[in-house]
Amino acid sequence: MFWEQLLNGLTLGSSYALIALGYTMVYGIVQLINFAHGEVYMFGAFVGLFLVTAGFNIFVALLGAMAFCMLLGMLIERVAYRPLRGKSSRLSALISAIGVSIFLSTLMVLYRGPNTTRYPEVLGGSTFQLGSLQVSTLQIIILLIAALLMVVLELAIKKTRVGKAMRACSQDLEASKLMGVNVNRIISLTFAVGSALAAAGGVMVGIYYNAVWPYMGTMAGLKAFAAAVLGGIGSVPGAMIGGLTLGVLEIMGIAYLSSSYKDAIAFAILILVLIIRPQGLVGQKLSKKV
Amino acid sequence: MLRKRLMKRIALLLCLLMVFSVLGGCASKEQTTQQGTPAAGDTIKLGFLGALTGSVANYGIPGQKGMQMAIEELNAKGGILGKKVEGIYYDNKGESSEIANITTKYITVDKVSALVGDPCTGLTKVAADIAQKNKMVIFSAGATGAGVVEIGDYVFRNTLLDTVAAPAVVDWMINTKGWKNLAIITSLNNGYSTALTPIFKEAITEKGGNIVLEDNVNDGETDFTAQVTKLKNAGADALVFTGYYTEAALIMNEAQKKGLNIVMVGGDGLYGQDLAKLGGTAVQEKVIFYAGFSTDQPSPETAKFLEAYRAKFNEDPDMFSAQYYDAVMIIAKAMTDANSTDPSVYKEELVKLKDYPGVSGVTTFRADREPIKSPVCLLTVKGEKFPALLEKIPVQAK
Amino acid sequence: MFDAFLNQTIDAYYLRILIFIGINIILALGLNLITGVTGQLSMGHAGFMSLGAYTSAILSVQLEVPFALALLGGALVAAFFGFLIGIPTLRLEGDYLAMVTIGFAEIVRVFFLNFGPGGKAVGLSGIPQNTGFTVVWLLVLVVIVLNRQLLASRVGRSLYAIRENEIAAEACGVDTTRMKVLAFSVGSLLGGLGGGLYAHYMYYINPQDFGFMKSIELLNMVVLGGMGSIPGTIIGVVILTILPEMLRIVDEYRLLFYGALLVILMIFRPNGLLGDVRVYDIKKWWTQRGDRE
Repeated sequence: MFWEQLLNGLTLGSSYALIALGYTMVYGIVQLINFAHGEVYMFGAFVGLFLVTAGFNIFVALLGAMAFCMLLGMLIERVAYRPLRGKSSRLSALISAIGVSIFLSTLMVLYRGPNTTRYPEVLGGSTFQLGSLQVSTLQIIILLIAALLMVVLELAIKKTRVGKAMRACSQDLEASKLMGVNVNRIISLTFAVGSALAAAGGVMVGIYYNAVWPYMGTMAGLKAFAAAVLGGIGSVPGAMIGGLTLGVLEIMGIAYLSSSYKDAIAFAILILVLIIRPQGLVGQKLSKKV
Repeated sequence: MLRKRLMKRIALLLCLLMVFSVLGGCASKEQTTQQGTPAAGDTIKLGFLGALTGSVANYGIPGQKGMQMAIEELNAKGGILGKKVEGIYYDNKGESSEIANITTKYITVDKVSALVGDPCTGLTKVAADIAQKNKMVIFSAGATGAGVVEIGDYVFRNTLLDTVAAPAVVDWMINTKGWKNLAIITSLNNGYSTALTPIFKEAITEKGGNIVLEDNVNDGETDFTAQVTKLKNAGADALVFTGYYTEAALIMNEAQKKGLNIVMVGGDGLYGQDLAKLGGTAVQEKVIFYAGFSTDQPSPETAKFLEAYRAKFNEDPDMFSAQYYDAVMIIAKAMTDANSTDPSVYKEELVKLKDYPGVSGVTTFRADREPIKSPVCLLTVKGEKFPALLEKIPVQAK
Repeated sequence: MFDAFLNQTIDAYYLRILIFIGINIILALGLNLITGVTGQLSMGHAGFMSLGAYTSAILSVQLEVPFALALLGGALVAAFFGFLIGIPTLRLEGDYLAMVTIGFAEIVRVFFLNFGPGGKAVGLSGIPQNTGFTVVWLLVLVVIVLNRQLLASRVGRSLYAIRENEIAAEACGVDTTRMKVLAFSVGSLLGGLGGGLYAHYMYYINPQDFGFMKSIELLNMVVLGGMGSIPGTIIGVVILTILPEMLRIVDEYRLLFYGALLVILMIFRPNGLLGDVRVYDIKKWWTQRGDRE
């Protein structure tokens, strides 16, 4: 049972990781907790649902959802965050983000109703035996897609010019501006990339659990934020590790401790980790400047 | 520069707009208060309690339709005591602070003569406390949990009680079906579920069954992989799930994916069209739940109701439409019998209700104002049909 | 006695909203002290509210303790946990702290979902309705006056200094550790007090009443009105308590407007409606205006 539960945990964790990446990338550059990110994930799941229902192939739907959420992410940044940048405290931006989050989830409720909608089975539900372990093909496919996306992201950040600009911005926004980086464009791109990953997470969660609903973003967003902080917010590998760790912790908590205290266990461990390692699992410790 | 000034003006305009909307809101409400003051006018107002949006809207929306239909039928026959009946419908969203505000508003601003609803136990209790303090009759059409009518003598309900139905169902599981080893899953953040679980557990122990696994989920979650993996290794004959239909369907989906073939049994919380929609093949004849209402094998009263409801709304009624309908009709009967719309007067007639042949079954109020309804219907999902009747278990009033 | 008079003269619906405004002012002033004044982002204020509500409700219902003592008990338990949470804040900052407070509130929620004496998910009902208009608004006045005294004192200036620049504050001799723990304890004390009042007004409480969205709602009040400002916080509370009631007219679009208004207000008043306006600023403005006339 242990290995099966571990696989369950990794699958859940990979969805957290995909959402956490968006949080962490945005945070790394503009130090903003993008609270609307969970709702972008929800929109991704729904756009995927519409495309699949309209008869498109699941991979086309996945790409379509990612493209849609890229635009949505950029739009949110343009409308709700850019006007505030530089002239207000980070908390005002946070409230603005909360406003966007409420707006988007209500929009979906008005459009689709508050209830859970079934996701069509698009990848089949077959299982196969691996020794004593029963593995569902779906879990493997989801883990592979998540891993592929993360590798692509890591390469893009490390190897491309835009990636280099993103890293520069996350180190020092002002200096990057002086060096000729179009900061607004880079921030916009960061939102786009983060949102696309969240959309991928949304579509995959929809396929895996067969269900999407307008409020799915709130808790998932909170958990993903926790994952990002656990790994060390601002750090891309940290988000991946944090996401997977949180997913496994949660599942193991249900399996071996107590399902009644599931969320409490996950958060208690998170708090302990932060008290021992305030910069997160792989985050860098920065000395404070005056 | 020009743009900045424009922005500032827009901001000012918005602020002004807000202030005016606030003031305007006050003013318009003040008017309704004044108009509503003569309580003994020529209409009888009934306040609807139920969610029209939010996670429990699936109970409120059909309930509202049932209530609307009852009121229309009453008015077609000349109303109650010669007065027109008017339903007022605010959406309480399934939130306790919302229902508290709305209940107060019904009683003090709208001056209703009775409150009909809410379908949920926890919310009904909030409203019932306020209603009891204001000496207003509240008639719940769905609250099945404990501690509702105990709040006071103005509190009534018309629904199949879990304490009546669950033991009957457990008896059927163990003695008719031979499912002795049972797993039980509770939805931890769902008051209905945490109240129902002990009733099931007690019944299982009493009838000689074994509980092989006790587990928890939460409403609003979608990941039940860990619980289903545990369930697979527990060796249960059947699963008792005490939560709502959404989570029930998702648990069954997960079980199907993990190759686990098990029957799920639950209360009327599983009664929702979404169970079939969300569960697909995973719930086909595998989810069984009890309810006080079925459209199959109808009594003459139910048949008439079915026909009218289908003609009006072009869909099948469910338990909540039937119970809201009955609630309005029972209140109307009590008002007519008492020749008064004063809650403190007609409530005395309500208490006397015996063998009332409603569209949701036969209802009798016990001395403690608790309803006994018969029979218990076991329902399931069969093909395209939801809900499909599996069996009717008669219940004797103890 | 005064309450009885009010019940007859003011419509119960409006009285209810007035009482909610009072309770929310106490809650928000507590959070303002932590987040607005000291600059420590707390996104779990509902957790303290929950502790206060449950403690005082259980004291009243199970042990039949007098109302005042039950309120005090709830506030003290909340303050104790605020003190406990204050300690890790010595190490954490910014969003890590935010995460800890979110986690703490979630743990409290899950705890009460499993807590037998609190009625689990069914909630605790039958709490005596001791909270009335007079009690709430008397407490509001007391809290505002004490809060004002605190902020105008040396301690208050130290707290503002921590928000503006922690290192500089420390260099100037502010004991930042002690001050942060103090802010957390007093802030959560008010959170617990507000929770106790809430429980004794609603007759019924449920762990889900104190979820993440409640914390966010309280944070919205503080930031919208103006961080660190008492009049600002009060205005934020009044607007965000009345607004949803007014938006009832637009019914299903209510939350859509609410979300959009938050964004718009932040764009046009990024520092809140009355950012850092203090009571004496208004007094000064008032007297100057008087002089001119």
